[in-house]
Amino acid sequence: MIELFGVTKHFGEEVAVDGISLRVAKGELCVLVGTSGCGKSTTLRMINRLIEHTAGEIHLDGQPVRTFDEVTLRRRIGYVIQNTGLFPHWTVARNIGLVPRLLKWPRQRVRERVEELMALLGLPMAEFADKYPRQLSGGQAQRVGVARALAADPEILLMDEPFGALDPITREALQLELLDLQARLHKTIVFVTHDMDEALRLADRLVVMRQGRIVQQGAPVELLHAPADEFVASLLGGDTRGLKEAALTRVRDRMLPLGPRLLAHERVAVDAPLSQALSLMLWHRVDRLTVVDDEDIPIGELSLRRLVGSKT
Amino acid sequence: MSRRAVVGRGLRLRWWLGEWGPLAWLGLLLVLCLGMGELEGPFRWIEPDSREVLYARSSFLALLGQHVLVVGLASLAAVMIGVGGAIAVTRPFGRDFLPLVSQLASIGQTFPPVAVLALAVPVLGFGTLPIIVALLLYGLLPIVRNTLAGIQGIDPGVHEAARGMGMTRRQILLQVELPLAAPVILAGVRTSVTVNVATAAIGATVGASNLGDPIISGIVNGNTAYVLQGAMLIGLLAITVDSAFERVQRRLVQRV
Amino acid sequence: MLAGAVAWLTLPAVSVAPNRIVQGTPQRAAEALGWGVTLLASVPMLAVAVLAWRPTPRRLPAALALVIAVLVAIPLWLSAVAVSLEPSSRLGIGSAIWCVLFVSLLALIELRVRLALSRPFGWAVLVPVALAWWGCLAQWLAPLALYREYQGRSDQFYAAFLQHLVLVGAAVGAAILLGAGLALAMRRRAGLRRVGFGILNFLQTIPSIALFGLLLAPLAWLSARFEWLAALGVSGIGWAPAWLALLGYSLLPMVRNIFVALDEVDPAVIESARGMGMSRRQVFLQVRLPLALPVVLEGVRITTVQAIGLTAVAALIGAGGFGTFVFQGLGQAAMDLVLLGALPIIALALIADALLSALTDYLRQGGTT
Repeated sequence: MIELFGVTKHFGEEVAVDGISLRVAKGELCVLVGTSGCGKSTTLRMINRLIEHTAGEIHLDGQPVRTFDEVTLRRRIGYVIQNTGLFPHWTVARNIGLVPRLLKWPRQRVRERVEELMALLGLPMAEFADKYPRQLSGGQAQRVGVARALAADPEILLMDEPFGALDPITREALQLELLDLQARLHKTIVFVTHDMDEALRLADRLVVMRQGRIVQQGAPVELLHAPADEFVASLLGGDTRGLKEAALTRVRDRMLPLGPRLLAHERVAVDAPLSQALSLMLWHRVDRLTVVDDEDIPIGELSLRRLVGSKT
Repeated sequence: MSRRAVVGRGLRLRWWLGEWGPLAWLGLLLVLCLGMGELEGPFRWIEPDSREVLYARSSFLALLGQHVLVVGLASLAAVMIGVGGAIAVTRPFGRDFLPLVSQLASIGQTFPPVAVLALAVPVLGFGTLPIIVALLLYGLLPIVRNTLAGIQGIDPGVHEAARGMGMTRRQILLQVELPLAAPVILAGVRTSVTVNVATAAIGATVGASNLGDPIISGIVNGNTAYVLQGAMLIGLLAITVDSAFERVQRRLVQRV
Repeated sequence: MLAGAVAWLTLPAVSVAPNRIVQGTPQRAAEALGWGVTLLASVPMLAVAVLAWRPTPRRLPAALALVIAVLVAIPLWLSAVAVSLEPSSRLGIGSAIWCVLFVSLLALIELRVRLALSRPFGWAVLVPVALAWWGCLAQWLAPLALYREYQGRSDQFYAAFLQHLVLVGAAVGAAILLGAGLALAMRRRAGLRRVGFGILNFLQTIPSIALFGLLLAPLAWLSARFEWLAALGVSGIGWAPAWLALLGYSLLPMVRNIFVALDEVDPAVIESARGMGMSRRQVFLQVRLPLALPVVLEGVRITTVQAIGLTAVAALIGAGGFGTFVFQGLGQAAMDLVLLGALPIIALALIADALLSALTDYLRQGGTT
């Protein structure tokens, strides 16, 4: 659990972060989002004390971070940054094993852990262990970055625009992988991004920042429904907010069980987002879809009226 | 013979030169040092009028030893002070001095080495010690500049990640900064040593006895054979040292 | 930032203590000038140290003024000593003065960076210092040993100056022409590039004194064989081997910079120039060359500074120049003669460096970035 109480950071005259209070529960994925220079990265870096806060308090499981030795603190917290920061003179395996080695784990245990993590992140040991970072693609390098952050099994993971430099397809793949990992590992994650789609997709709790302050926080759907002001609304996509919300809602939530009518010809997966169902309707010019499960067996139907959520 | 075989042989030759080149040059240097007497014939032909055609005031091996000793001592001290100093000014406590030191290193490099040597004499006097000091001072500059460039050239992301992972300052310096800056630092040391080998020879004019001696006395006495003997040996020494550095450098780059 | 400036700016205060002026027998400043003057002289230095303790934007200019004052004061102190001496005696500059000079120059460099002074202004600041030295030399400093040496050899001095400049100019000029040709040829042929850089690198490794020596024999032989070469003044010693060796050393930085400069022009710019319908020739003359010019000039700067230093060594084989004084002085153990050679060499190198970097900066500002 991470708690911030009235945390403020001054760089000389300039106020970068201005009295922020925030609580990230254990196992929660909290996304800080905002335009560049809003203080979101600074906030993140104050948690592992790469930047010291000027005023206020930051607690980790109820204990102020100032009371920890900063090096010990950082070894307990995973950290992933945009351009990976992999050590170019070390192999992938050695990079991943960094923190366990810093913690003086026995050599055998480090090797096992590296193997385990590479399997977890879909990096075959035989192919990647002895490669150097510059021989990796952007997506592979960032997977190694994530593996390195997870190496010592930290409770907390800080991620600073980790997927910002990747192409859209790789980025989406890694976002899904992160959600998948999170479902299994239940880390407490603070994730910084300026990409609102990424934020909406990943966040359990979304925190919108502006000029060093928190403008609004809550579950993504709450923010979409009731943005606090014009700024949040425009950041969330203005009039296209409806599509963003549709992307967050699953077909499962709106479908009706199979009725007596004939099955519609076009089909949609039960786990697909509503935006995909809407797109299919637009594309095929129909107002009804058959909902199918993983094995392509019809289990329900979705009408345009149900999709848009009208009451009648 | 097929074209491929020719190419293959060319590559093998280059590999061989890279691997054994420094030793080959060293061998040639030593052979020439010891066997200069055998070449009396050719030197006699070049300098038929002189009574002596072989520089005999001191053995070539002794001169070589002196030369290597002076350059070695100066360079060793320069590496320690230069790398140490550059590391110090890139740490938080020394960062105030960084602009001054880097300015000084770049301005100092416009000073010609001869002038530095000449200025050292009035201050320090004649002999071997002032030469070592002058070489040390001048040799510092490329080392300082390259160490600074090497450390500052490291991707800030790497540095950030190292801190974020919880490495101590010492660990960051020893495991990340120095290994990554090593090729650039080594290039600076190479420049420094090469220049010092040359400048030390000029040191013969201020009373150090080394491989510059035959050249100076040859010029003074108008004996071309002396000059050639000194020049060949200094040239060979410089090439030996330089090729050795090149080999180490290539090793270092290969690893990353 | 605060602490840094302090630590080294306090140095002048420390170096006041061993302040002594070597005159046959060394004298401390206090002995030469009297305690009153010595203490007075150390006031501005202490003041600089105090100001640097907490450098604020307002204090830095004050510190600058004080450092200039110290630099102006040095010739005045020397003059004060000089007037009290017998007319025939010689006054040498002692290590304390060198220390003060050195530290003041350090302070000047640091302050220039801190205050972000423009280049012309930086030079303008030195004008009063130059005036003070010149005025004191003309009026009172006749016994200064360095000045005596100069007076004794003013004709030789100018001859050496000319020789030095001509040799450097000829070598750098030839290197620019030949280097440009080589670089252009290397751009065409990769094989030539490898071999060319290999040879030039090899040449650069050979110490200058050795190269001068190695050129001695073949050139002597050539001039003995061919009348017309000897008539041109080519011989084993003198300008010919010096010029050839200088050219050899100058080629590597020259060729490397021209090559890199032409090669590193942003391909997108070239692409768009060709896309606009410029001919090959137009692209080269109007786009590639102007964009490459600053880097080429950088090469000229490195080459010139290097050649100025190497020409000093060339004095050993009778090529003339300021190096003559250095080696004569070293031979006769006359330190002031050494200084008379070494100081102008350094000054020449610094001036060439400053002028050419100013030119590079100017070219960068004007149109190219």
